[in-house]
Amino acid sequence: MKKRSVLYGLVLIVCGVLVPLQALALSADEIVNKANLAYYYAGSDGAAKVRMTITDTRGRKRLRELTMLRYDVEDGGRQKFYVYFHRPADVEGMVYMVWKNPERDDDRWLYIPAIDLVKRVSQRDKRSSFAGSNFTYEDVSGRLPADDTHELIGEETLDGRETYVLKNIPRDKDLVEFSFYKTWIDKENFLPLKGEYYDKAGRLARIITVEKIENVQGIPTVVKARAKAVEGGETVIEFMDVRYNVGLKERIFSERYLRRPPRRWIR
Amino acid sequence: MKGRRFLLACVLLLAQALCLSDRVLGADVGGFVEAAYGLKLGDERAEKNAYNLSELRVQLKGLYLPEALDAVSGEVAWKGEALIDGYEGDTSFYFRELNLSFTPFEFMDLKVGRQILTWGTGDLLFVNDLFPKDYVSFFTGRDDEYLKLPSDALRLWVFTEYADLDLVVIPSFTPNESVRGKRLSFYDGLKGRITGREDGRTFVEPKNTAENMEFALRVRRTLRSSELELYFFRGFYKEPRGILDSDREEYFYPRLNVYGASLRGPLLGGIGSIEVGFYDSREDTKGRNGNIENSSVKYLAGYTRELTGDFSVGVQYLVEEMLLYDRYRDSLSAGTPARDEFRHLVTLRLTRLFLSQTLKMELFTFYSPSDRDVYMRPSISYDVTDALGVTAGANIFSGSHDHTEFGQLEGNDNLYLRARYSF
Repeated sequence: MKKRSVLYGLVLIVCGVLVPLQALALSADEIVNKANLAYYYAGSDGAAKVRMTITDTRGRKRLRELTMLRYDVEDGGRQKFYVYFHRPADVEGMVYMVWKNPERDDDRWLYIPAIDLVKRVSQRDKRSSFAGSNFTYEDVSGRLPADDTHELIGEETLDGRETYVLKNIPRDKDLVEFSFYKTWIDKENFLPLKGEYYDKAGRLARIITVEKIENVQGIPTVVKARAKAVEGGETVIEFMDVRYNVGLKERIFSERYLRRPPRRWIR
Repeated sequence: MKGRRFLLACVLLLAQALCLSDRVLGADVGGFVEAAYGLKLGDERAEKNAYNLSELRVQLKGLYLPEALDAVSGEVAWKGEALIDGYEGDTSFYFRELNLSFTPFEFMDLKVGRQILTWGTGDLLFVNDLFPKDYVSFFTGRDDEYLKLPSDALRLWVFTEYADLDLVVIPSFTPNESVRGKRLSFYDGLKGRITGREDGRTFVEPKNTAENMEFALRVRRTLRSSELELYFFRGFYKEPRGILDSDREEYFYPRLNVYGASLRGPLLGGIGSIEVGFYDSREDTKGRNGNIENSSVKYLAGYTRELTGDFSVGVQYLVEEMLLYDRYRDSLSAGTPARDEFRHLVTLRLTRLFLSQTLKMELFTFYSPSDRDVYMRPSISYDVTDALGVTAGANIFSGSHDHTEFGQLEGNDNLYLRARYSF
């Protein structure tokens, strides 16, 4: 009896010491996985109106407005996206649909309403610009944590928030435009607060900064971010009417709804 | 009369929009104003103006969600156009779309009214898409959108666990807008030469009877990442492929059934597709009637791939096999140039984007090694602002023979310039 209590005590002490230690010493991979879930997999589904203001090197502004619907088939894994364009006027009604598959190439469709055309699109280059902005497709729908190796290079305070600083190096350099990128991840909510992308020569090329975070249904949510190209031009992205766990049906992400947008979500 | 009705409809719809603004989707009421000019180049072998296009087009579109149809997610979509056509010297008003969509059951969608219909895997090539097209617009430099003509149709979808069914019923026949010698010259098989404005042919359309209704059916099933589709069409050739009376130059649209299939999916980092269609010429199944198109089979393979984020390439190979070819040769009247048993056609699309995707350069080429003819469509478009876009391009035709599809258009080369303000 006594022996057993001693054993329990020991176990408790060991656990008491180990658990907080483990919490403190998150590995770089764990931080990235948590950030991926916090930023790209919040809730089991999500709907938001997105506005992008693109300013080119000569200061001219262009506006993109879209509705984005997201459905998580599995947390951290397969996802489906439905992107309906409201603006500019000449692409109004166009729908871009993606089935994100971590284990193979994503499936992508484009619907062009003027000619009732459902087109399959190949997209090998996920690093290309999303709708002409300074954000890439991967910035919008997420980059697989396994595509990079991650290294925790420090901890910094950014605008009063404690962050982990990570250096991410691509496993396949030929597929990306950067040699590495650094991310600042909030220690508390694991949202990425800043990203710096370095070109092949190792020079800083692009900076993404999160400018506003709001609490939506108890989930910390990035509602405004800015991507700035060092050589000029930037894009501000704003997420409006963000809603989580709205009960989106998986079947919305199909050819049927490309032709017939679900007006309940798309206004 | 037609114009007045259109204006009335516009006024009504606008009034409706104002009264029920929350029922009309704000962002979806829009349209554009477009000015287009198309200049003819080359040696014209037919009498024509110096230009093909000189027109101003206004498009208004909208979407209305009637409260009474909320239970079935009903929506009314319209797209009306006014075209001031300097070539024809007239102004026309028409609806490109005016339809009602609704979902009577969870597993069923319906769309009734004027609508644009497209299916199949081809890129500017059509095997199982027998919906009407406007090749005059296509060859003279109007937006690609105008290659498709609307159909007055009822479209019914049924979605099941195994496959999706897509049925289109077209009560009244709409033919393709064929080259009639006005803006473009063509090879007149009866005259045996290139013909322009003096075209004296008449095309007799099938009567609007229950028996002449057209049906198009598509069954679609997803296999992992690929899409398998089966098609059936019962109706008429969209081009006048039958001669009714050669002395009076009367042509007609023969009955046609098409049975087809396609498969499309990811392939080697791009998208690959194959499609086949058996064209069953119902009024000449034996191929003995020299006045009616023989049955044929069309085989199409396509592949598109993005080489970099801003540069993509698409290639296609189409083979058209005329069936019962010997009988076709036997039934051919003396002196008429014979078509080949197999027509081969290759297409190549190169698309390159510049300046944050605001500048697009494109070249689409059709080349037939068997007909020995070429059709090239270079274009460059630039978005000056979000609202204003300009496009310049050309249509260039060349061929060794006068009677082939693109060869007959040699001499119809043209340049065009369009400016579109969208709102």
